[in-house]
Amino acid sequence: MLCSKKKSLEVERIVKANDREYNEKYQYTDNRIHTCKYNILTFLPINLFEQFQRVANVYFLFLLILQLIPEISSLTWFTTIVPLVLVVTMTAVKDATDDYFRHKSDNQVNNRQSEVLIDSKLQNEKWMNVKVGDIIKLENNQFVAADLLLLSSSEPHGLCYIETAELDGETNLKVRHALSVTSGLGADTSRLAKFDGIVVCEAPNNKLDKFTGVLSWKGSEHSLNNEKIILRGCVLRNTSWCFGMVIFAGPDTKLMQNSGKTKFKRTSIDRLMNTLVLWIFGFLICLGIILAIGNSIWENQVGDQFRTFLFWNEGEKNSVFSGFLTFWSYIIILNTVVPISLYVSVEVIRLGHSYFINWDRKMYYSGKATPAQARTTTLNEELGQIEYVFSDKTGTLTENIMTFKKCSINGRIYGEVHDVLGQKTDMTKKKEAVGFSVNPEADRTFQFFDHHLMESIKMGDPKVHEFLRLLALCHTVMSEENSAGELIYQVQSPDEGALVTAAKNLGFIFKSRTPETITIEELGTLVTYQLLAFLDFNNFRKRMSVIVRNPEGQIKLYSKGADTILFERLHPSNEDLLTLTSDHLSEFAGEGLRTLAIAYRDLDDKYFKEWHKMLEDANAAVDKRDERIAGLYEEIERDLMLLGATAVEDKLQEGVIETITSLSLANIKIWVLTGDKQETAINIGYACNMLTDDMNDVFIIAGNTAVEVREELRKAKENLFGQNRSFSNGHVVFEKKQPLELDSVVEETVTGDYALIINGHSLTVYDQWFITLFNIVYTSLPVLAMGIFDQDVNDQNSMDCPQLYKPGQLNLLFNKHKFFICVAHGIYTSLALFFIPYGAFYNVAGEDGQHIADYQSFAVTMATSLVIVVSVQIALDTSYWTIINHVFVWGSIATYFSILFTMHSNGLFGIFPRQFPFVGNARHSLTQKCIWLVILLTTVASVMPVVAFRFLKVDLFPTLSDQIRQWQKAQKKARPLRSRKPQTRRSSSRRSGYAFAHQEGYGELITSGKNMRAKNPPPTSGLEKTLYNSTSWIENLCKKTTDTVSSFSQDKTVKL
Amino acid sequence: MKRKSQDCPSRLPDNSAVKQQQLPAYRLQLSANKILSGFFATGVFCLGVGVILLLSAKTIKEVEINYTEKCANCAKLRENAANFDKECNCSIPFVLPETMKGNVYMYYKLYGFYQNLYRYILSRSNSQLVGTDVKDVRNCAPFKTSHNGIPIAPCGAIANSMFNDTIILSYNLNSSIHIKVPMIRSGITWWTDKYVKFQNPSFQNLSSAFAGTTKPPNWPKPAYELDEEDPGNNGFINDDFIVWMRTAAFPTFKKLYRRLHRIEHFTEGLPAGSYSFNITYNFPVNRFQGEKAVVLSTLTWSGGSSLFLGLAYMVTGAVTWLAFFSMLAVHLRLRERKMFFLQQ
Repeated sequence: MLCSKKKSLEVERIVKANDREYNEKYQYTDNRIHTCKYNILTFLPINLFEQFQRVANVYFLFLLILQLIPEISSLTWFTTIVPLVLVVTMTAVKDATDDYFRHKSDNQVNNRQSEVLIDSKLQNEKWMNVKVGDIIKLENNQFVAADLLLLSSSEPHGLCYIETAELDGETNLKVRHALSVTSGLGADTSRLAKFDGIVVCEAPNNKLDKFTGVLSWKGSEHSLNNEKIILRGCVLRNTSWCFGMVIFAGPDTKLMQNSGKTKFKRTSIDRLMNTLVLWIFGFLICLGIILAIGNSIWENQVGDQFRTFLFWNEGEKNSVFSGFLTFWSYIIILNTVVPISLYVSVEVIRLGHSYFINWDRKMYYSGKATPAQARTTTLNEELGQIEYVFSDKTGTLTENIMTFKKCSINGRIYGEVHDVLGQKTDMTKKKEAVGFSVNPEADRTFQFFDHHLMESIKMGDPKVHEFLRLLALCHTVMSEENSAGELIYQVQSPDEGALVTAAKNLGFIFKSRTPETITIEELGTLVTYQLLAFLDFNNFRKRMSVIVRNPEGQIKLYSKGADTILFERLHPSNEDLLTLTSDHLSEFAGEGLRTLAIAYRDLDDKYFKEWHKMLEDANAAVDKRDERIAGLYEEIERDLMLLGATAVEDKLQEGVIETITSLSLANIKIWVLTGDKQETAINIGYACNMLTDDMNDVFIIAGNTAVEVREELRKAKENLFGQNRSFSNGHVVFEKKQPLELDSVVEETVTGDYALIINGHSLTVYDQWFITLFNIVYTSLPVLAMGIFDQDVNDQNSMDCPQLYKPGQLNLLFNKHKFFICVAHGIYTSLALFFIPYGAFYNVAGEDGQHIADYQSFAVTMATSLVIVVSVQIALDTSYWTIINHVFVWGSIATYFSILFTMHSNGLFGIFPRQFPFVGNARHSLTQKCIWLVILLTTVASVMPVVAFRFLKVDLFPTLSDQIRQWQKAQKKARPLRSRKPQTRRSSSRRSGYAFAHQEGYGELITSGKNMRAKNPPPTSGLEKTLYNSTSWIENLCKKTTDTVSSFSQDKTVKL
Repeated sequence: MKRKSQDCPSRLPDNSAVKQQQLPAYRLQLSANKILSGFFATGVFCLGVGVILLLSAKTIKEVEINYTEKCANCAKLRENAANFDKECNCSIPFVLPETMKGNVYMYYKLYGFYQNLYRYILSRSNSQLVGTDVKDVRNCAPFKTSHNGIPIAPCGAIANSMFNDTIILSYNLNSSIHIKVPMIRSGITWWTDKYVKFQNPSFQNLSSAFAGTTKPPNWPKPAYELDEEDPGNNGFINDDFIVWMRTAAFPTFKKLYRRLHRIEHFTEGLPAGSYSFNITYNFPVNRFQGEKAVVLSTLTWSGGSSLFLGLAYMVTGAVTWLAFFSMLAVHLRLRERKMFFLQQ
């Protein structure tokens, strides 16, 4: 960290492979990371410096300095230094613990092993010793140690697959590929050791999706982009090994650049507290001024004559000067008005809450053995005030698992389970799944509940067979046999995976493919189809087709795609079927399923040959090649015969619908960020109940730039208000611009209200020790106990009643209004606390005739009253009495008395006569009946109005939480057996359920055969071979992939 | 499966009551009935205590005689500090219409004397007064030392301004026989003050214990000569001195001066009749426009209570009852409405 600060700004990075000496002169950081802030030596100065940047601590320090001036000092120094030292020590201990854990995790990461090529040999080296320019070897499922330039890999053409979950939260695999010049290096360490390419590239930055650079090697230059870079934090998948050259290490890596400085997050309570503390401070100054003026007047009128007894120095005779000194004295005396301990209390309460979050078994996810983790303690109470939840889609809302759920074949729905009465029922686990035991290839995880489909297959229904055949033929899936001989599908889109797997389980098994053939097993017999053309998918066509010749010699076009598109290109004879199928599709869409329409066309030889000729010409054409091809595709994909439709479920995470319903009830708006297509986004919106059919206007906002989006949003808003529709429950599906790290909060947490009791009463009459200890010992623990342990409503009810959440959102629980009520209450209490003893002691003698109206007895009486009043107040505010609350409330009263008697004891006075002048006071005062009567009256007078006020408030304006508490009480005897059932929502809808997560370019990849292993050598002859200029397939694929990605990123679509 | 659960046993949070926030707890449910009955009971209690306090305060007999004006010439004399050595006596006759039964206490009372003044309170040396270091005058400004630098004992503003009038009560049986009412000057201080907080320096001879110090400027005599009659009542442990040193909380205060010694004529208390106070007027009050008085008073179970506490209890009780009735009214009306809602 220090190093990077010292270094002048890096403009360009030049790295030479395998040459540490060369790279040394640029002083690049090594791969060691430092997320810790201090070491043993720097801890004290840095931490103290940080702490004294806080207003509260500076204030204390200021007070301490004031108290060192004898003319002003009204309290001895320990009244200030004790709390200050306590606060600073506690914070320091917390910081030190935090940093210790950072040190530990740094060490753990820095000491991970990786294989580095040193002296032409692979050697194990700790991560922290890896230097820029080193070549390291990664193995499957390993974490990437630094930002690497991919040189070669075990896969053909230097491909490798990475998972970037740590970086952007996406769990799907991404492809990276090496430059063809370096991929030839393979795993040959001697050649890799001789690799001496120089990379000139951008300076370290935090952009995860961009990289620009040039590799110069063997006299030629190769440009580098993000496709050739593997970032630290990724995990290598499906690739047995790869080699890479370190470009950025340690703190320079994109991961670390992103996680650099954590911005200190302030909660609204923090902000409010700061404002309030400022106000209180202003109040204190006003009070000081008023009291100082009062002092001047008194000095002038009375004190002047009273000088007989106090021969003040000449300077102090001036009443104005006296007032000035008094001002500072009062600032010191009244310092407890400024609730500095509040900051500490809030901190402790937050810490307690984060432990409760971590300990909560109800937030434990057994699937991954992960308990909830509160990563920051500063934001806990904000959980009760969330207004917007920004959620990622894949992995958060959905499991990214697609399952084939239903289908409609030739006007008949399969996959719906009917009960005895013929009513549609939900598919439940109790129903017996269709047994596929006859089929040795069946995937055990696949479940389909409709036996009718199996029967239809066995009966030999030609349409059903054609449907399944289409699913087995029209896709871009690659098959592979693993060592155990099992068939493994490599899928580009999970939708296709689901469809092909479904076909496989239903007896139409896709076995293998070559660039020009597809072999499938149809109910036990192997059939090889000749692949004549592949009409690839793209976002505008929204469909894909294959043209195959079956063994009988017939040429067929099989097509699947969006219903809206395919229905337009059907043969007119399909009209009846179309109506039926589109009804089915609407039903599927209503259930939130992703649908694709399925159709075929019989082609005659002559027509196909003509068409094929034109396609060849178009491919060879230089200008308007793409348009011409698209036109030809359009031409042949018409007069289709509808087969039916498929419905695939994008499996939602468990409990998503319930959670979203709860969140909506709690008035939390949800924004989903997704890189999906508009259709998919809408579909998932319906699937998880965010969008419902009664929202008849879904606003689609599409714009390519931030400005456009803003404009569109504004229009949509106008539209909404113009039509006078409710805007309250609008969820937004927002297509994401760039990956954001999201901390998803799936469950609500019950956050206790923070009762912040401001004790605005303190008078000079108190014992100095009392002032010192009051906030810290006597009253803080019960407040803390309440803040941590209080539950106003039990967990079951708070889950059942998400509306409880609203007051927190609206900041009703702690706001300025409440604060002023608190202040008024404080002023009232302090008046009662002063004037009742004052009146009672005026001109009164004790039981033994001695006077009890001395100032020390008065102080003890008031202090005792105060502690009791505050304790009673807290007891009343605590609605949930656990043993800990009891211990703290009673304990703090007991502590008060024991400390009181200790400080007023003979023993302490004997040792320190000057510090403990209250000797014997507690003993004498607290044995007087009338003093207890005074304390009792003070307590009654201070507490009763509060109780009455609350009673009337609950009666007249009950809050929801009050009502639930009442209900809870009423239900106590008869324990309710109400368990919330997930609301099932079945409605038909007139919208398309089309969604297909597929990317363009894979068709080309297949027909070129380049992604097929050498053991399946592409045939030397074939129609397609001549069609495509296959050398550039990777570039094409990459270009198209990036194109689509960037078009998504610009095509931000917002639906309200 | 077994092994898996052994692998990560620590990840599942403990199912302890504390961690799961399932501690057995009492839910404080302040139902309307509880609150209303609480208010009612509190009102009854406060009114009861108030009545008892008022009744017992009525039984107290108290006589207060303000002698600031009555001894006008003495007051005038004391206005000039130069006349400190001139003695001035003053006699104030008065009639006690009723017998004061039981223990009778004599107080002096000062008006407008700010014993609670912040600097005044601090101007004392506890370590000197406890006898450990008779020359320790650290906090005593502005009465630390005399002009020639000798430490003052007892030092400080409180000690220096000690009340030093002598008050003698005489019972006039008839016009010729004046009996001096027997008074006890001990037992007027707190035990801890007399035996813990205030101690003379340990010397056989008290005057030598005070060697090297000087008397406070306002005092006519040094501390070891405060009580000429009782040698054990001298120095820092002098009862009057200790009483004075326990500073009052308010500018108007009374301090215990003497207790009636219930012997001979006075076994029942102070009989009705005519009395006179013979006052040696030393303490100047005109200079700060204060007043002084002498008070004779009896006590009751709660001490010499004034009417305030009783009245305050009455008022609180009354207000609580008022609150009770209005809350009851509101509650009953709202309950009807609530029933209506529930039925809907």
